[in-house]
Amino acid sequence: MSNATLQAASVSGKRMVDERVTAETSSAMSTEQKATANEPVPEGAGGRPIQIECRDVEFSYGDSVALKEINLEIASNEVTAFIGPSGCGKSTLLRCFNRMNDLIPGARVSKGEIWIDGTEIHSDEVDSVELRRRAGMVFQKSNPFPRSIHENVSYGPRILGERNKSALDEKVERALRGAALWDEVKDRLHESAYGLSGGQQQRLCIARTIAVDPEIILMDEPCSALDPIASARVEELILQLKRDFTLVVVTHNMQQASRISDKTAFFYMGELVEFNPTSKVFTNPDNQRTEDYITGRFG
Amino acid sequence: MQNTHILHDFNEAITALRQEVLAMAGQARLNLERAVESLLTRNVDLANAVIGDDNEVDEMERKVDRLGMEILVRFHPVASDLRLVLSSMKISINLERISDHATSIAKRARKMAKNQELPDVNIVEQVYAMSDQLLRDAITAYNNHDAALALGLHERDKELNRVYKRVSNTLTQRIEEGDERTDDYLHLIFVVRSLERIGDLSVNVGEDTVFMEAAKDVRHDEERQI
Repeated sequence: MSNATLQAASVSGKRMVDERVTAETSSAMSTEQKATANEPVPEGAGGRPIQIECRDVEFSYGDSVALKEINLEIASNEVTAFIGPSGCGKSTLLRCFNRMNDLIPGARVSKGEIWIDGTEIHSDEVDSVELRRRAGMVFQKSNPFPRSIHENVSYGPRILGERNKSALDEKVERALRGAALWDEVKDRLHESAYGLSGGQQQRLCIARTIAVDPEIILMDEPCSALDPIASARVEELILQLKRDFTLVVVTHNMQQASRISDKTAFFYMGELVEFNPTSKVFTNPDNQRTEDYITGRFG
Repeated sequence: MQNTHILHDFNEAITALRQEVLAMAGQARLNLERAVESLLTRNVDLANAVIGDDNEVDEMERKVDRLGMEILVRFHPVASDLRLVLSSMKISINLERISDHATSIAKRARKMAKNQELPDVNIVEQVYAMSDQLLRDAITAYNNHDAALALGLHERDKELNRVYKRVSNTLTQRIEEGDERTDDYLHLIFVVRSLERIGDLSVNVGEDTVFMEAAKDVRHDEERQI
């Protein structure tokens, strides 16, 4: 599959989707994955099943190693925050979870395995398009399509094969309600998405992501371009979404990490330094490098 | 020793908070020392000075709270910084109470100075020595980031409690024996009671220091380990 196809298939990506991505592919994929998910799904410390597991993951951009020996277990229906200085590898790891890095020439998981729900995501049976439906992504800058609000949200379900108008309307309403945006846009669904405020556009992108029924939502700095009120709305939304989804959020805002996440992973120079419950990380971190980073000290 | 913050103002605010707590501790200890001295030497002027200086400690308590709140608002401290702010604010509450007990001792010293000297007054010295040592070590532990010293205060306070009970019983016995200086003996009972409470409050300071340094809440915990 070409890079263009891969990128387009990411529901929240900017590019238009290749028509080759059909509903048949997706449903066939789901069946296949169920059949091959033969590894028992382990449980996390809180009793929740582990949804994402990294085993000795090493990631390289060409010859340069960006992530080293990452071992991490992310439980379902939890919010996990990735923190760390710029260039520490947190966004790279986030993008590994739905293989968004496949789009970058020379970038690859050079060692180790990433398992999602008992399936290794680089194995032959995994279709990256289906993977990106299951693990949707929301970016730093909201990126609605230059279409109506309705079209933005119905886009994913439509390319996955949904043609029935009332079914699409229902999915749009459910996704917009899920993204806490319905009341604000219900009377102007067919107006341009560009007419929404920055915060509303970001929630629209979240609606677009959840419209295709993912299991995991990956967010890369989702509030960094938003004002405090819009950020608070998105944070409140994240807390609501964890009832139905597993969320992984990259953030530079440590107060945000402490407000919204159950667990926090601190990365430094390509290494996972500490992964602990958020309350532990922000009151008594195990590692001195974590302490120095979160308290704003010279390392 | 920890690295310094990248933000210079944050370092200065933390230093200012610690210094204010230490200044307050110094003042509370001085008040205690002078209160007991005024009792033993029947020095009314000294007792009055202690009573007057209690306001200073009250003002310091307000300042510690103000500095702590400013740090919370401006710098959003986490981890060891957060524990330092929380513990410092709680320690200042205990120091203010210690100073209140010193004032109460000074007031009783002033009243007893109006009567004839009571030979038995020296009986409080041993209790004072022990509670003062606990207070001093609590302050040292805070100043030197010494969690082990802070942790040991709880056990040492038990010895103070034993001595307090013995002295308190002796004083009660004097009253029961029908000694005509009942009022003065009652004053002394309250004085040693204050000294024993200062031991407890010093233990509290130690517990807050343990939390600050080792992130362990050892309050109400029989098996105290870091």
